[in-house]
Amino acid sequence: MKVINLFTSSILVTLLMLTIPIMMTSTTLYTNKLYPQYVKTTTSYAFMISLIPMMMFLYSGQDTMISNWHWITIQTMKLSLSFKLDYFSMIFVPVALFVTWSIMEFSMWYMHSDPYINRFFKYLLLFLITMMILVTANNMFQLFIGWEGVGIMSFLLIGWWYGRTDANTAALQAILYNRIGDVGFILAMAWFLANLNTWDLQQIFMTNHKNLSIPLTGLLLAATGKSAQFGLHPWLPSAMEGPTPVSALLHSSTMVVAGVFLLIRFHPLMEHNKTMQTITLCLGAITTLFTAICALTQNDIKKIIAFSTSSQLGLMIVTIGINQPYLAFLHICTHAFFKAMLFMCSGSIIHSLNDEQDVRKMGGLFKALPFTTTSLIVGSLALTGMPFLTGFYSKDLIIETANTSYTNAWALLMTLVATSMTAAYSTRILFFALLGQPRFNPIITINESNPLLINSIKRLLFGSIFAGFLISYNITPTTTPQVTMPHYLKTMALTVTVLGFILALELNLTTQNLKFKYPSNLFKFSNMLGYFPTTIHRLMPKANLLMSQKSASTLLDMIWLEKILPKSVSHFQVKSSIVITSQKGLIKLYFLSFMLTLALSLLMLNFHE
Amino acid sequence: MSMVYINIFLAFTLSFMGLLIYRSHLMSSLLCLEGMMLSLFIMMTVTILVNHFTLASMAPIVLLVFAACEAALGLSLLVMVSNTYGTDYVQNLNLLQC
Repeated sequence: MKVINLFTSSILVTLLMLTIPIMMTSTTLYTNKLYPQYVKTTTSYAFMISLIPMMMFLYSGQDTMISNWHWITIQTMKLSLSFKLDYFSMIFVPVALFVTWSIMEFSMWYMHSDPYINRFFKYLLLFLITMMILVTANNMFQLFIGWEGVGIMSFLLIGWWYGRTDANTAALQAILYNRIGDVGFILAMAWFLANLNTWDLQQIFMTNHKNLSIPLTGLLLAATGKSAQFGLHPWLPSAMEGPTPVSALLHSSTMVVAGVFLLIRFHPLMEHNKTMQTITLCLGAITTLFTAICALTQNDIKKIIAFSTSSQLGLMIVTIGINQPYLAFLHICTHAFFKAMLFMCSGSIIHSLNDEQDVRKMGGLFKALPFTTTSLIVGSLALTGMPFLTGFYSKDLIIETANTSYTNAWALLMTLVATSMTAAYSTRILFFALLGQPRFNPIITINESNPLLINSIKRLLFGSIFAGFLISYNITPTTTPQVTMPHYLKTMALTVTVLGFILALELNLTTQNLKFKYPSNLFKFSNMLGYFPTTIHRLMPKANLLMSQKSASTLLDMIWLEKILPKSVSHFQVKSSIVITSQKGLIKLYFLSFMLTLALSLLMLNFHE
Repeated sequence: MSMVYINIFLAFTLSFMGLLIYRSHLMSSLLCLEGMMLSLFIMMTVTILVNHFTLASMAPIVLLVFAACEAALGLSLLVMVSNTYGTDYVQNLNLLQC
């Protein structure tokens, strides 16, 4: 069909269009005050053009692959620039562009007073480009370029306010934890190169290899690093040091799902490997439960939402673990909408209260910020899986599928508990930020009348309400969902969510009436993030430094060179002479007696006959 | 025995007596120790040279080395005593203190 040309050319136009503002950096456009507006409109046009290939794909159901430029052939492996335009990339690209468009409009308001706003937009756009490279990559090398690119941009954007020590530490933390994940990625790449002689996804999926545990472990490690699963998770709450648009774009919708996206891309390899699926399932279950526990007692509104992101990422990994990659992908797309909106609402609250991020110092914003209140409530409801909002279409399906599948009961239980905790901490945000009497400073700077703010949140609000339905209705059917189950399983997700809501509301209301008790051990566990950053970040470096100091200076210098022979000998001599001696130090007497004895014996022995 | 040997042996004996009989200073013992070492060295060297006992020419050097070590030891003992008492009078060494 002739329209096939439109498919490939429009996706290339989309990707190329995004690079134009970057290439304009050396011209006067970059120093212009209108550069942010320019970047935003570029992104919106890119979004609209990317709708064309998405709708064409949904109509025809045909995967496409573009292979442009042969870069290098290393002995028998050919590396070229190739784009894989299949189900996952075609649906993710418009979603990501839509969310980024809204976030760029939001950051035109949020970063308005920043003198380097042009550079900020350039970084955001560069991040978007690398993310696009990641999702459309057809070989692992290109994927790795995108992977590292999003890591670098994350570093630059988290440390945006680099005068602040905490921001620098957080950016470094992000890079280090991602690096540990990269080791797994490179392991997978090396294994594929050595055993399958390729880095192309098509060839990897074709070969029927017996035991794929090693590369899958590598890919799981990469996903753990990038998507902040348990063990490599502390960088995500620390990344909240960056500006709110950065948190909204990177650490809720796009970058952190790169790890999950990687596992989804490689789902044909994971389908037949039960061990890896179980490991993935348990890892996701631990993550979702642990981060939900940590979110319950945090006081910074951005950190609560960051932990919420981490918990949802764990849920996505759980979905992959029960062999449902398409559901995980659906959850990625729907999650992007409401999570970005939650971050943007929190940004609106923070700016309105003159950069106050502590939830204990907010309150009474229900009437003062009506639009933000609305979107915050809608976003929280969508997050918890309120029926027929966006989150319901993915989250409820995931819980139902998990309930009716032959899977690990412990992991399932953890996921359900985490789901009820989602409702609990969402109630916490709503209660402390919006309800009650105001607890902030009396100087009122509350203002939400800027159209940039309103329009961007409004777009995502429509997305949060309708996108789930729209996407679910239009995508090609993949795995058949289980439709028959006992009624208690069907309503399980809703029940635990409602339970979480009620319990959290009761607990929050009791804080207004009872006397303040000192924090219990459980509270301290949750508030200190399970003591994980405290032990790992401080204990291990201290142990290493202590060990090296002991071995270098103490062991070598003091003990080998000083104590072993010289000091030990002298010490031993002194001690033994104290024990043995019965002398009184009469040296002259001893010498004289010695001489006398000698002389006498010589005389006697010489004149004996 | 020839005259030379008796001479050297007499030097050795005198130093030996000096080592064992001294009045107050510990230093005189050490000096006599050096004298003993010197006479031994001379005796050893003369014997080796007269008898053309070439292979043993190493022995006086070795003796010198060990004598240096022992002199250092003796001097360090002297310094320890001098640090505690200020002088090296032998009559100070009457305490059983380590």
